[in-house]
Amino acid sequence: MTHEELEEAVPLYAAGALERTERQAFEAHLLSGCAACHAALKEYQSVAALLPFGLSPVQPPRSLKAKTMASRNLLPVAPESSAKEPPRPSLEPGEWMNHLFPPIAPARSGSLPWVIGFASLLVLGGAGYLGWNYVTQLSSDSIKLEQFSARLQEQSVKLASVQRELAERERTLFELREDMHKRTLDFAELKDQIIQREAELDDLHNQLAATSKRGRTIQDELAVLLRVPDIQAVSLAGGDMAKGAGGVLLFDSRTQKLWLYAVNLPECPTGTTYQLWAIGDKPTSVGTFHMDSGETAHMLVKRLPDFSKAKQFAISLEPAGGRPQPTGTVYLKGSL
Amino acid sequence: MSSPPRHATFTIDPALLARVVKGDQQAFSQLYDHSNTLLYTLALRILGNREEAAELLQDVYLEVWRKVARYDVGRGTPVAWLVTLTRSRALDRLRDRTGRGPQYKDSLDGDAAARMPDLGPSPFETQADQELRVLVGQAISALPAAQQQAIELAYYEGLSHMEIATKLNQPLGTVKTRIKLGMAKLRDTLRTYWEQGDVT
Repeated sequence: MTHEELEEAVPLYAAGALERTERQAFEAHLLSGCAACHAALKEYQSVAALLPFGLSPVQPPRSLKAKTMASRNLLPVAPESSAKEPPRPSLEPGEWMNHLFPPIAPARSGSLPWVIGFASLLVLGGAGYLGWNYVTQLSSDSIKLEQFSARLQEQSVKLASVQRELAERERTLFELREDMHKRTLDFAELKDQIIQREAELDDLHNQLAATSKRGRTIQDELAVLLRVPDIQAVSLAGGDMAKGAGGVLLFDSRTQKLWLYAVNLPECPTGTTYQLWAIGDKPTSVGTFHMDSGETAHMLVKRLPDFSKAKQFAISLEPAGGRPQPTGTVYLKGSL
Repeated sequence: MSSPPRHATFTIDPALLARVVKGDQQAFSQLYDHSNTLLYTLALRILGNREEAAELLQDVYLEVWRKVARYDVGRGTPVAWLVTLTRSRALDRLRDRTGRGPQYKDSLDGDAAARMPDLGPSPFETQADQELRVLVGQAISALPAAQQQAIELAYYEGLSHMEIATKLNQPLGTVKTRIKLGMAKLRDTLRTYWEQGDVT
């Protein structure tokens, strides 16, 4: 660009209408210390700063000031002094303002060699800085790339480890499921067995109940009676009507159980029966029994209601069904 | 209780910024009072949305609070620094929302008042501010509409002269000439103001 073109670009620059490359070329020209362009720019920048005054003023919301002051108080640091700022996408105010009022000394000196030297130094410095910046950037990028690669590898290893662990857990889970299934089957089988055992137990209970209902046999009763420690025994001897007859009578005073074993008693005539008496103050019927033809022995088990007072026992022949008091002949008799 | 001395927005004392640099909250509050209407108006003109403009203005002031140490009185007035910062950030935001233009357009001509309600002078707008507003408004109104439009598209919408030429379907040279002539006329009209006040 010729100087004339650059001078014509001043109002466009101030209005913000230049293309980026044109703007950069113009700024480079300003750095060369062109006094005429600096002077022109000073005026046009002043025009630009005045343009907003031509707008109809609109006041911001009243609450904005309080918000702004409060937000400012939240800032970690008060006004910066030399902190570095990140690069901004557009012209920094400082960048623009740098040319509002250009440095006067280079423009006024008029010393061309000094200006050329300064400009050369600036260009060399700029080139060196750019080169150093590029190399530093490249080196920094390489380091970052290596760091990313290392992180990627590390993450891959971790991922593989996690995948292995996941597979292991899935396998364990499958085994647990299989085990649970098996245990469920076992449990079902055990349940069937329990049901079967319960059925068997019910049968046994029923059998036991049936057995209990049938009652104990005489032998059972004798066995029980013989195991009682303080069992009492009474020997019965035959009277005149049955000299060859005899018997033994065992009883337990605690349970009031009595067991009679009689042998060689004559056959009961028709319409009669033998009746056992416990004799205390008066005779008390214990029970009746019958001796049929051909029988030589008989066992009787009874419960005595008033046993404590009994001192003698006797068996008489009475009419069928027995009598409240002895009326017939005594066949067997014994005393405690 | 005496109120702080008022300064015209365009003549904000650089000493006020020097106090802000030292963390003076009262100075920051005064800076806000003196400049918020101008900067909000600018942001609203560029973004066309009140909420977005308010959000941007908050960001701008926070940036001012952080970067005020960078301000160099030898390189420009406080208001020029604030205007430049606000315009730059608003255009950044405008470019960020691709495919979405401003919701309404103000212009540099006299029709602006019809579309943007004039709420009257700000409580902090001084007589000098009002006079300057009238002066700048008259200077802009005196421009041919084509020149106003070209400057407006560059300044408030951040378009380059090539983009403006494409948008208006005009030759590039024509657009450049319009901007140059318009800016030159404004310079000639307004020069007396800053030369008298030596405000630049």
